Amino acid sequence: MKPSKLAILVTALMLPPCGVVSADEKQNLKSKKPAVSHGHRGAKTFHIDHLDGATITYIRPDLSSQSITPLMGKVTIPVSGVDNYHALVVEKDWGDHKEVIIRYQYMFGRPSKQNPVKLTAAQKSEFEIVPDPLPREHYRYHSQQTWGFLARYQGELLSNHPLILTTSNGSQQTLYTDEHGRVTFEIPDDFPGLTEGERSKETAQLTISGEYQQNDMNHSTQLVADYRVNPSHWQSTELGLLVLGIGFLAGGYLGQNLKKRDKKA
Amino acid sequence: MSTLNLSVIRKLVQISAFVFFVYGGLITGYYLEEKLSGALPALSCAYDFQGSDLCTLIPIQHQMDHRLGETIAKGGNLLMGVMPTLITLGTFLVLFVILNKAFCGWLCPLGTFQELLQMIGQKIGLQRQESLSKSLVAKVRPVKWFILVLLVFGFPLLTGMGMLNHDLGDPFCKICPSRILTTLATGSTEQLHVDTANVTTITLTLFADFLFGLMLALGLTLRQPFCRICPMLALHAVFRKMGLLRLIKNASPRCDRCGLCAKACPMDIHEIHTDMTSRNVTFEDCTLCGRCVEFCPDKDVLQLKYAFIPIFRADPHYFKKRKKAQTNWEKQSLLNWFGNKGSNSRAEPS
Repeated sequence: MKPSKLAILVTALMLPPCGVVSADEKQNLKSKKPAVSHGHRGAKTFHIDHLDGATITYIRPDLSSQSITPLMGKVTIPVSGVDNYHALVVEKDWGDHKEVIIRYQYMFGRPSKQNPVKLTAAQKSEFEIVPDPLPREHYRYHSQQTWGFLARYQGELLSNHPLILTTSNGSQQTLYTDEHGRVTFEIPDDFPGLTEGERSKETAQLTISGEYQQNDMNHSTQLVADYRVNPSHWQSTELGLLVLGIGFLAGGYLGQNLKKRDKKA
Repeated sequence: MSTLNLSVIRKLVQISAFVFFVYGGLITGYYLEEKLSGALPALSCAYDFQGSDLCTLIPIQHQMDHRLGETIAKGGNLLMGVMPTLITLGTFLVLFVILNKAFCGWLCPLGTFQELLQMIGQKIGLQRQESLSKSLVAKVRPVKWFILVLLVFGFPLLTGMGMLNHDLGDPFCKICPSRILTTLATGSTEQLHVDTANVTTITLTLFADFLFGLMLALGLTLRQPFCRICPMLALHAVFRKMGLLRLIKNASPRCDRCGLCAKACPMDIHEIHTDMTSRNVTFEDCTLCGRCVEFCPDKDVLQLKYAFIPIFRADPHYFKKRKKAQTNWEKQSLLNWFGNKGSNSRAEPS
C-alpha cells in the first residue's frame, strides 16, 4: 500500500476533546483547584499536511454540507449549533490516485434529532470505511475494545477486502472484511508508560485504511479517530466484587438484626 | 379459583417492562438519540447500551453540570442555562401525568428486581412478614430528599461552577444500583468496579458496590429497600398531585381498627391506615402498586382512580380470594417444603 500523502496530524487544537489534559487543566491539577466545567461547544481545528488542491467538506447530522477552505494547513470545523456526529471529509485527486480522509467528530449543541446512522449510511466518497456503529454519546473508542467497520465502494459493501489498522503509538494489524463487508478490530492497548491503578487521560489516533483499484484509478481511504486508554487499567472488577460481597454480608447482618428487634418488640 | 389478581397482572407488566427497558434498545436503537423519551420517570439506565430509554435523573445531572453550572460560573444568560433542564422536566411531566407514581410500582426495572429478591427471600424463608416500625420508616424517609437535592442537583451544579472536581458531575449515577444491575443483566461487568483514579472515584465506586450488595441482601429480608431512599421517588413526590392516577380513600370507622392496608404496603406507609381525613392518599412514598386496595376488606374504602374514573376498588369478595391466594403463596416456601419432608420422613416407619 502506498503511503498516504494527506494526513491529519494534530487534532482539536482549539479545544481539547473530553479527557485530554490541557494546559489549564494541568495548572488546576497542580493547584488542586477544580476548573469550571469544560465547554465542548467551540470550533475544532485540525492540521492536515499536503492540503493544496484538496476538497474539504463538512457534513452535519442532517446531511447538509458546506465546503471549508483551509488556512495555513489548518482546517477549522465551524460551530454548527447542533449536537451529534458531524463528518469532515478531505478528498484529493492525484490524477491516477484518489485519496480521502474521513473523520467523524461529535459536536455539542442543541439536540439535532438525527440518528448517526443517517450520516454513516450516506455516501461521502467513492471508497470509504464506515464505523458500524459509532460510539454512543459520552462514549469513545478505548484500547482493548472491539469495534466494527464497513468497507464500501460506491455504496456497495466490499467482502474479503484487506483493511489496515494503524495507531499513532506504532501498532498495526491487517484484517479482511467478512461476506457482509464488515471487519472487527480490537483497538490495541499500546499506550506507553502506563502505571496500573493510575488514571490516564492520554489520547492517541487510530487510522483504518484501505485501497481499492477500479479500472486505472487507485482509491485509498482512511478513517481517522481518537482512542483513549481503557479504564480497566485503573478500575478493578475483582475489587468491586469483593466490596459487593462485603455489602451483601452487611445487608444480611442488618436484616437479621431487624428481625431480632421485631421478635423482642 | 382464578389466580389472576391485580398483583399477578402487575408482575406481568413489571416483567414485560423490565425486558423492554433493559433490552428494548435492540428494537429502539443503539444511539441515545433514538431512545424513547430521554426523561423516563423510572430508573432505566443510560449505561445499559441495550436499554430503550434513560431515566430523567441522568440528563438533569448533566444539565446542572454542563449547562446551568457553567452558565452561572461564566455569568451567562441564566434562562438559557436552565432551559434544557426545564425541557427535561417538561418531558418528564408529560409522562408523569399519565401514570403518576405507578412508574415506580409498575415499570421501574430496579423496583421489579427488588420484588424478585423479595419473592426469593420469601421462598427461602428469609423475608420478614411484619412492617417496619414507624420510627424506622420516619428516619429513612428524608434520605431520598437529601440524595435528590445533593447528588442530583447540588453536586453536579457545584461541579459545573468549578467548585468540585469533575468526577462529581453525575454522582447519583455513579452510586445508582440500576447502573450495575442493568449492565450486569446485559452480560457486562464494566460497571461493577472500584475506580482507583482518585479519592472521589474510589469513594463513589466503593459506596456504589457496597450499596448494591447491601440492596441484594436486604431485598431478601425487607420489601423494596432501595426504593425507600430513591431520589426518583422524591422527584415523583414533588409532582404527585398532578398525576391522573391516584389512590383515593373514603375512610370508614372500621379503618381505625383494621390496618391491613398498611401491612400490605411494600413501602410501610402507615398513614394509609391512620389518616382519616385525606381523600387523596397518594403519599410521598406511595408507588401506586395497589396492594393496599387489594387487601382492604371494606367496599370502596380504597380505590385507584384515573382522573375521576375508579379503575380498581376495594371489595370484600375480592379481599377474601386475594387473602387466600396470598396464604397459599406464602405456604409454598423451601422452609415449609423441607419441614413437611422432615415430618413425613419421621412419620414413616423405618
